[in-house]
Amino acid sequence: MKYVPLVWAAIMRKPTRAVLTLLSVMIAFTLFGLTIGMNATFTKLKAEARDDRLFAFSRFGGTLSVGMERQIESIPGVALATSSNNLFGYIQDPKNRVFVQMNDENTAKIYPEWPITAQQWQMVRDNRRGVLVSRSQADRWHLKVGDTFTVIAPVQKKADGTTNWTLQVVAITPDFFPLMAGYMFGNYDYMDKARLLSDQGKTGVFRIKLSDPSRSAAIAEDIENKFANSSTPLQSLTEKAAYDVTSNTGMDIAAVDREIALAGMFMVLFLTANGIAQAVRERFAEFATLKTIGFSDWGVIGLVFAEAAIPCLLGAGLGVGLAEVLASIIPRFVPPGQGVPVPTMTMTVLAWAVACAALVALASSALPALRLKRMDIATALSGR
Amino acid sequence: MLRQIFIVTALNFRSLVGRFWQSMVIVVGLAATIAVMLSMLSLSTGMREAYAKAGDPDRAIVVSKGADQEGQSAITRADAPVIADAPGIAKDKDGKPLADRGLNSGVPVLRKDGSKGFTTMRGLADKGQGVRPELHIVAGRMFQPGKRELIVGLGAQAMFQHMQIGDKVILPAGQWPIVGVFATGDLLEGQLLGDTETMLAALHKTSYNSVLVRLTSPNALDTFKKALTTNPALSVTVERHSDWYKRVGDQSTFVLALLGYVVGAVMAVGALFGCLNTMYAAVSVRGREIATLRALGYGAFPVAVSVILEAILLAVTGALLGAFIAWALNDGKQSMFGAMVFHLSVSRAQFELAVTWATVVALLGGILPSIRAARRPVVEALRAT
Repeated sequence: MKYVPLVWAAIMRKPTRAVLTLLSVMIAFTLFGLTIGMNATFTKLKAEARDDRLFAFSRFGGTLSVGMERQIESIPGVALATSSNNLFGYIQDPKNRVFVQMNDENTAKIYPEWPITAQQWQMVRDNRRGVLVSRSQADRWHLKVGDTFTVIAPVQKKADGTTNWTLQVVAITPDFFPLMAGYMFGNYDYMDKARLLSDQGKTGVFRIKLSDPSRSAAIAEDIENKFANSSTPLQSLTEKAAYDVTSNTGMDIAAVDREIALAGMFMVLFLTANGIAQAVRERFAEFATLKTIGFSDWGVIGLVFAEAAIPCLLGAGLGVGLAEVLASIIPRFVPPGQGVPVPTMTMTVLAWAVACAALVALASSALPALRLKRMDIATALSGR
Repeated sequence: MLRQIFIVTALNFRSLVGRFWQSMVIVVGLAATIAVMLSMLSLSTGMREAYAKAGDPDRAIVVSKGADQEGQSAITRADAPVIADAPGIAKDKDGKPLADRGLNSGVPVLRKDGSKGFTTMRGLADKGQGVRPELHIVAGRMFQPGKRELIVGLGAQAMFQHMQIGDKVILPAGQWPIVGVFATGDLLEGQLLGDTETMLAALHKTSYNSVLVRLTSPNALDTFKKALTTNPALSVTVERHSDWYKRVGDQSTFVLALLGYVVGAVMAVGALFGCLNTMYAAVSVRGREIATLRALGYGAFPVAVSVILEAILLAVTGALLGAFIAWALNDGKQSMFGAMVFHLSVSRAQFELAVTWATVVALLGGILPSIRAARRPVVEALRAT
């Protein structure tokens, strides 16, 4: 600790160089944070996906009859099938896009782990126009409990010909993973009964709870086969499959993220290694002086390592911090309900960043450290 | 002036060898940035090139007014024959107009790796092959009109499971067998084809998505378009098929390309700081040399320019290296995104882009150090170590 002023003075010898190096390292670690953070989100999505849940939706687009619920429940291994319809629209201005998930009375049973209490679910059932609004959405649209607001949903016509859906906030509930852009949960009956008669009794997606999670993939197949020859064939996915981004896009995004982060680290490594090598070369005589007055080999090497490590670690911290800030802004630009994952800066991400920073510092100071160890003090002191 | 610039720059480059590792910082920085950016862009560029190849300038597509994609368009049964009667359409050997009523739908498929994906299922009517002479059956047979049959493209066979002749595809109210394999040489090969009218009935649809016509010549487009757009009974958009695909391609790849540019920009900023760092160091190391030159009478401007040129040389070298790496790793690889099967591309335009970015970074990273080199008082610089 007592050598910190010494190391600091060394770094600040060329303040411009120190600042530029720090900025470069910071940018590389921002990219690191965003990419590895994205991977962390993917991992978390997969880890938290339950294998006792399935989604089923129309194979060729369009809506499905709610009556199919009973048929799905008759398949062995299925405990419960529920319906929900989505209301995509905006509040006042078309750019204020919102998405309200209209659930039926059983949906709550499918998601017991969500931080929404039974009373809160019941409030939506009791008040047909009620919605549960997540904290982030409530803040965004300045909504309080009891507020009434209107969602204009151009694709969802009501029987009276308008597209204005009036909703009332019954409770503000916490945000939770994986709904990172927030959510609004409404009452399916309200939406269904207010629509044209020909549109009623229809759902967009079935959310299914299984009683036999070990056979989830097989049950998904059974569901597809049951309706294969019907007029509305289904496509069925386990929650694990639905959250597996690689299989959904056909691209190994996690690998691409790692390669980008690696490229950034490579850039930083070169920059830092060069900087330290140059610094040691320029101040060789000074190091010789330090050795003369009693610093051990390892002491001098330690000083050099610290000189490399401080900008690296600082840059890593600032970079990941900046990545966190950028990640929190992303949901504002992404249309809601699309399920676009947002990078999260977990402890793992930070740990990896620190580890990379330390490795870069180590690699950068390795060769100069060797030179210092082998130094012939007399020659070095003479400045040659 | 020019001669001075030349001499100072030549001197500069000769001493570059002595500053090898510092200079490599710029080269590596730009190489990493460009390698990453072009690798990411190879996906969107590949897709755009596949789209550009798909449309034939001899053909025109008719969709309902305002539709950006075929799936958004609806051409009624009544309108289809009106469109087919318009001037400018080539005729087949029976004298009938080569105008085909088309349908589009998504269809779920199983990828080779077991994951669930989807591709496009397209309906062809009686003039389907006439309008598309590049369509050849390479195995099995063509589907019969009125029958619930499909043919699959070579690209789809390569990417998806259960795409062999005899395999069945789930459609509403029944499964349709695959009876043949086709080739077209473009992205249509990633799709399944069937009979429009049969598909229309199966999917409970009442209107077509498009009408595709073969023009008498590429110049006939204007006559054809005018006849349809001035007809008060119709509300359609007419576009040359090649233009249509180009636009759809640009729209579909916009977000992917944007992502590539954003990541590239972030890395370029990192590389920029590295460049600034290196050039400041270069200028300070050459302090005495520059001062001597100026004492001898060389102007400050040639000195400044030589610094910038050095930055540009290093940056462009790095960018070309990075572009080469991206090219070697990606170009030509077969890839898939969503419903599209195509080849990744790192084209000449991408190389040019790399050089442009490198030059911009070098300019920004070289300006300040060059000013410092030019402004530093000669006497002070001569005295510096």
